[in-house]
Amino acid sequence: MTVEGLANWLANTNPGFFIIAAALLVPFAKDVVSRAILLVGGPGVALVALINALGLSINLSTVKVLGLELVLYRPDSLSFVFGLAFIIASAIIGVYSLHRRDPLQDSTAMIYAGSAVTAVFVGDLISLFIAWELTAISSVFQVLAPRTRESGRSAMRYLVFQIASGMLVLAGVCMFAAATGETQFALIAPSMAGLPVGVMDISAPGAVLLLAGFGIKAAFPMVHSWLQDAYPKASETGSVVLSAFTTKLAVYALARYFAGLDALIWIGAIMAVLPVFFAVIENDLRKVLSYSLNNQVGFMVCAVGIGTQLAVNGAAAHAFAHIMYKALLFMCMGAVMLRTGTTKATELGGLHRTMPWTTLFCLVGGASISALPLFSGFAAKSMVMSASHADASLFVVWLMLLFASAGVLEHSGIKIPYFAFFGHDSGKRPQEAPFNMLLAMGVAAALCILIGVAPGWLYQFLPYQDSAMAYLESELWTPVHVIQQFQLLVFAALAFMLLQWRKFYPEEQAGLILDVEWIWRRGAPDALAALAKPFWRAGRALGSLVVDAGTSMRATGRQMFASDGWLAGKVPASASAIWSLAILGLVLVVVLFG
Amino acid sequence: MSEEPVQPPEQSSAAGDPGEHPLSVLLFSWMRTKRFFRALMIGLVLVGLGLIGAEIFLASHRIKDVTGVPGFYGVFGFIAFALAVLSGWPLGKLLRRPEDYYDRRSGEAGRDR
Repeated sequence: MTVEGLANWLANTNPGFFIIAAALLVPFAKDVVSRAILLVGGPGVALVALINALGLSINLSTVKVLGLELVLYRPDSLSFVFGLAFIIASAIIGVYSLHRRDPLQDSTAMIYAGSAVTAVFVGDLISLFIAWELTAISSVFQVLAPRTRESGRSAMRYLVFQIASGMLVLAGVCMFAAATGETQFALIAPSMAGLPVGVMDISAPGAVLLLAGFGIKAAFPMVHSWLQDAYPKASETGSVVLSAFTTKLAVYALARYFAGLDALIWIGAIMAVLPVFFAVIENDLRKVLSYSLNNQVGFMVCAVGIGTQLAVNGAAAHAFAHIMYKALLFMCMGAVMLRTGTTKATELGGLHRTMPWTTLFCLVGGASISALPLFSGFAAKSMVMSASHADASLFVVWLMLLFASAGVLEHSGIKIPYFAFFGHDSGKRPQEAPFNMLLAMGVAAALCILIGVAPGWLYQFLPYQDSAMAYLESELWTPVHVIQQFQLLVFAALAFMLLQWRKFYPEEQAGLILDVEWIWRRGAPDALAALAKPFWRAGRALGSLVVDAGTSMRATGRQMFASDGWLAGKVPASASAIWSLAILGLVLVVVLFG
Repeated sequence: MSEEPVQPPEQSSAAGDPGEHPLSVLLFSWMRTKRFFRALMIGLVLVGLGLIGAEIFLASHRIKDVTGVPGFYGVFGFIAFALAVLSGWPLGKLLRRPEDYYDRRSGEAGRDR
């Protein structure tokens, strides 16, 4: 193959395929160098391939299967920013995982990352479904990785939700394709300012099923508990992997097909607010981060629902920034998990003494997620807030998001670093995290700062670049905007200190916090058992009747047919002849007159 | 991989504990002084008031709605944070259960599912 041919092949192949191909080789890599080459090289090649797609908005690779044209690679500015974030996250996770060798976990993590990248670059619903399912199946191995009874059960519950999501998407795709004959998103509806986003009308056949499938994966309220159930039970690397892809892939799908759908505004606002209350009382810090993830995805879903250029930019920028700072925070907790064996707030505290680098990176993650100016969250979340504030009819939504912003500072900006690394001294003096973990955390932290200090770097990749640059020049750094954001955070921090000082801050306590999953793990089974109890009694009574009847029939049969039974007795030959004649006569009558 | 916990030293000092990482001594040990908490709180109050003052100076001529009133974000942030934290008291009582709650049997339906 010539250099030109190789470049052409790279430019026309979905970048996700390179990561999946590298993943298939990972189990055969025996030493750390070859593993590093595959875990980082796979995403590296994908990144090189992706660079060629910058600025493009066309089908680059198609294939015909069973008369259907599948678009395997169709980049545009919406998929580019999500794909870029996924590829960078995949490389960072590769570095983070190098301290231990678990071929199954490493390989499936890369397949998961590769299928998420594939999903954002395919151009039709059928290919999306295939990649969607691949993310579901490959991701469950991250939950199974600790190989404990608890993680196994959690993985099965996780799988139920993921498969349900896939089935809903499949049903929606079939209904839509059967009714319209169209599966390529670029051909479904006119583009919004040159970009195909929000292409599906909710009244279209199968659209509600698609929305429900996307909603499960985005962890909409009431179907969110799989996230808080599974993520904290994954391995120290598994929770990082899980945090990066699934929910953001759902945000991408929502933006692509349902941007501008009003219902998403309120769903997103509720998503942003509700987890705040659960995160406050949760003791497991990885579960706190899972609630926090849910809360942050709420901002994105809300922005997708608003659907303006600024809002779609905000959703994409927030997704990018969120992948980095959430992965960073999960990496910090993963390091704590590796070194201490726990992430329970009641068992931690004072770790900054021996894990200062991890502490420092966690503080960067906390500052980023709290949207402190000069950190990534500020550059990303500001667009979502401005988009909601720009519409007077969304004032309540804006207030909800502002409340959620203060809540984020509480559970991720303060609670996570404070209870793990400061707070009361647990007496634990673990080693600092391994070098590869620190390196991965360092890269993620550097990206959080880069985006915060120079947001133009991220804004140039956003779906509506002109709108993003106009926002950067006219709104982001205005003194009033920066001052107001500082005010929100400074006074919220002051509230924390006052509540701590006056001992109004609830102490961390060991325990399990009930969530909506109680309905199917305890409530519904208990209710069904109570409802079934009378039927169970009636069934048992009926069963004993049947058993009694069977017993008496068996006894009667034995009496009749046993060797000494009624029918085995000696009968005179004349009686036999009379019985035979009678039976023959009866048959004759039936034949002649019947 | 987990380390055996050791008893914390009797007193932590600004100079660092025995065995403490040098970076921790450099970055964090000064936080352990008794005056730090008070100084931080006073500092936050002063910075907060300064930010409200700056907002008054910058936004006095173009207040369009309640969100433009100087100090709105500060007051909202304080109340929202306090509300979120204080809700933890009743919610904790209502929702907290033993860690093995779903593993316990309760009649026919207590098994973890």
